[in-house]
Amino acid sequence: MKVKDSARIDLESSWQPKILAFLCNWCSYAGADLAGTSRIQYPPNVRVIRVPCSGRVNPLFILKALQSGVDGVLVSGCHPGDCHYISGNYVGRRKSATLKRFLEYLGIEPGRVQFSWVSAAEGAKFSQVVKEVTEDVRKLGPIRRWTLQPQAQKP
Amino acid sequence: MRRGPAKLEKKNLKAFLQTLMERYDLFGPVRLAEGVSVYKRIDDPQEVDLSSANPQKPLKEVFFAQSEVMFRYEKAGRKTEVRSTEEVERERIVLGARPCDIAAVLLLDQVFSGKDYTDVYYAKKREKTTLIGLACNRPLSTCFCASMGGGPFVRRGSDLFWIDLGEAYLVEFLTEKGEALSQNTLLEKADASEIDLAKALEQRASEKATSSLSIEGIEKRLDEMVESPFWDRVQEKCIGCRVCTYLCPTCHCFDIVDEASRGQGQRVRNWDSCLSPLYSLETSGHNPRPTTRERTRQRLMHKFNYFPKNFGSVACVGCGRCIIYCPAHFDIRKTLEEILVP
Amino acid sequence: MMANAPSVGAWKSIGAESVQPFSPIRSGNPMIEQRIREKAKELLSRKDVDLVIGFGRGTLPLRATPLFARTPEEAEELIWNSFCAANLATYLHKLSRFKVGLVVKGCDSRSVVALLRERRFEPERLFLIGVPCQRMVDRRKVQRVAPGEILDAREQGDRIIVKGEDFEIHLKRDEFLYSSCQACLHRNPPKADWLASPPVEESALTEAFDEARLFEERPSEERWNFFIKETSRCIRCYACREACPMCYCSECFVDSSRPKWIGSGLDPSDLAFYHIVRAYHQTGRCAGCGACERACPMEIRLSYLTQKLNRDVKELFEFEAGLDPKDRPPLSTYEPDDWQEFIK
Repeated sequence: MKVKDSARIDLESSWQPKILAFLCNWCSYAGADLAGTSRIQYPPNVRVIRVPCSGRVNPLFILKALQSGVDGVLVSGCHPGDCHYISGNYVGRRKSATLKRFLEYLGIEPGRVQFSWVSAAEGAKFSQVVKEVTEDVRKLGPIRRWTLQPQAQKP
Repeated sequence: MRRGPAKLEKKNLKAFLQTLMERYDLFGPVRLAEGVSVYKRIDDPQEVDLSSANPQKPLKEVFFAQSEVMFRYEKAGRKTEVRSTEEVERERIVLGARPCDIAAVLLLDQVFSGKDYTDVYYAKKREKTTLIGLACNRPLSTCFCASMGGGPFVRRGSDLFWIDLGEAYLVEFLTEKGEALSQNTLLEKADASEIDLAKALEQRASEKATSSLSIEGIEKRLDEMVESPFWDRVQEKCIGCRVCTYLCPTCHCFDIVDEASRGQGQRVRNWDSCLSPLYSLETSGHNPRPTTRERTRQRLMHKFNYFPKNFGSVACVGCGRCIIYCPAHFDIRKTLEEILVP
Repeated sequence: MMANAPSVGAWKSIGAESVQPFSPIRSGNPMIEQRIREKAKELLSRKDVDLVIGFGRGTLPLRATPLFARTPEEAEELIWNSFCAANLATYLHKLSRFKVGLVVKGCDSRSVVALLRERRFEPERLFLIGVPCQRMVDRRKVQRVAPGEILDAREQGDRIIVKGEDFEIHLKRDEFLYSSCQACLHRNPPKADWLASPPVEESALTEAFDEARLFEERPSEERWNFFIKETSRCIRCYACREACPMCYCSECFVDSSRPKWIGSGLDPSDLAFYHIVRAYHQTGRCAGCGACERACPMEIRLSYLTQKLNRDVKELFEFEAGLDPKDRPPLSTYEPDDWQEFIK
């Protein structure tokens, strides 16, 4: 297969945002699936971890991802009222709110950790969310390492 | 016959340290924040702080690091390469070490490079290190080194011994290793008035450091008290943190862990504390030291009964850190007095 | 009352002569102190409680040490002054089999209420000796202005007189308070079985959540660098965790091996991780007592972390920990209209 020119890697600006997405099995993951089967194009920067419910997401997952060098995290669940487990997304909502504010307070730039409600029927919305999150994280640049080293330069 | 003392003007200190850094790795007290310092490798002579009190983290860290990689391994094909980290490339100098911390290192020598066992990580660093002691002109009220066989001007264990005279340091050469540094041109010969001043400072400091606490007979007394209800009261206010053990210059408990992923990894030794319930927890779930009572008793027994039995001296040098930094304001001097009440 | 009292906490009383010249802090509130002693003696002699936990004289100036009185004679050594800063609720976890009388300030009482809500103890086993708090003095702030080691300190009205080998300085007490005390709006214990003095007027000396507000005004990169730099001093002694009454998990996340969240060494990113999570685990539970920061031997700034969480919980869920034993912890419940503008 011929390799297109546009696929040639430019080593100087080769950094691509790496984003981890926690998608709830019943809604968001299904929505992502729908985006795929509908052949909707969206950036490939997102790695998906399927969870039963957005409320399952332990804040430590998000922190561990950031500590490991992931540039952004997305947590997506069912719309309020539609949770397969009735109230998991509501409890998750409170955790997300407090964690997001705390991380921004500490100095992790707003936009690195984002949240969405995506239903199983919203393939288009899922791809739109991924596009936006990828763009936001791309603008922020690689995540700052959690050490005393001098800060990495943005590409 | 050792050469006579020299003097190093404080204005020459930075230059002096810079010449040392050409051949040696330099370690000394470095201030991390106001009132907080540790012993660290010095990259810039300006960092050294010889005027503050004893750093929070004690001298033991230079030889027995809080977190030390012992070896690294990597799978290469069908073989596994193991690379130990024990080698110390350059000679080292530690300066600004107080007599209590040095006395503690001499005790740790018996554990880590004594007759029964040699810990290469400790021993190699120790062999290659020249210790520069620093006298304590102003012992704190919490210093009780005199009760533990030490003192603010005790020179035992130092290769060189510095005394702060105000504008300069008096430098005494105590061993061959110490004399190896005597050729430095910034070291001038000390005159009689300077030597006299040092003697006066020593006199004054020794008077200040007297402590009425005597621990004579403590080992025997503790033998008698193992099951005493005394330990129920001692443990009450201990919250079970690790401050005293980590900041203690003689404490040396550790844990070894493997950190591995995908065919490569490392074995790491980290400080641990007998005051942690996990320290003595066995795989079966049984814990021979299940409550604070057993653990605080153990700590005191280890320092004042087991260590003397094993090595001939108590494992406390009277630095006072546990008294200053304990969040519950535990005072070991008081506990020792209470143990010795007939 | 000021004369040589028997040593604190000794099961055999010995004279204090041998620990001179470490003269103890003189009491700042003789009346409150006397009332606490009387109440403790009463509770102990009537066997309403097995022990009373309060404060006694430390061997060093500017400190009060936790005191465990099991007899009326031992209760005679209880003191009260502006150095009784520790949160004694942390000791309750070891003593759940006993009936305990506990001396509590406002923040300490809030911690007890939060623990009762988490069903850590039966309320019948506690007798809370409440003391409306005069705000506590930060001994590190005092030491910083002293030209040498402080050997003696006493309170005199609104002054603290501090002496060293060759100095004596007089300080205004109110200029040396803990920052958590300056902003405190809950000096009266929300739950107390008895009060040692009439309630005080709730008023803060600085704006509420002051530290958090000032921190937030800094640019994001500066905040992150500050946080990493502060936590880089951490030595994993867990004094912050053990001093905190709300940290009582039998397996702390740091000790978890499956999953292994962080190692046990000094990796700077692990140090940051530890402090982020320890603070975050206080969301909706923290009384803002400052015990964490006070306990740290490396003087790491910690209370600005929990302050932010406390402020957010108040703003988002109208909730403050430890005021009502019947309230629901905010992260264990929800409202249909919780704030969600941040969710796409």
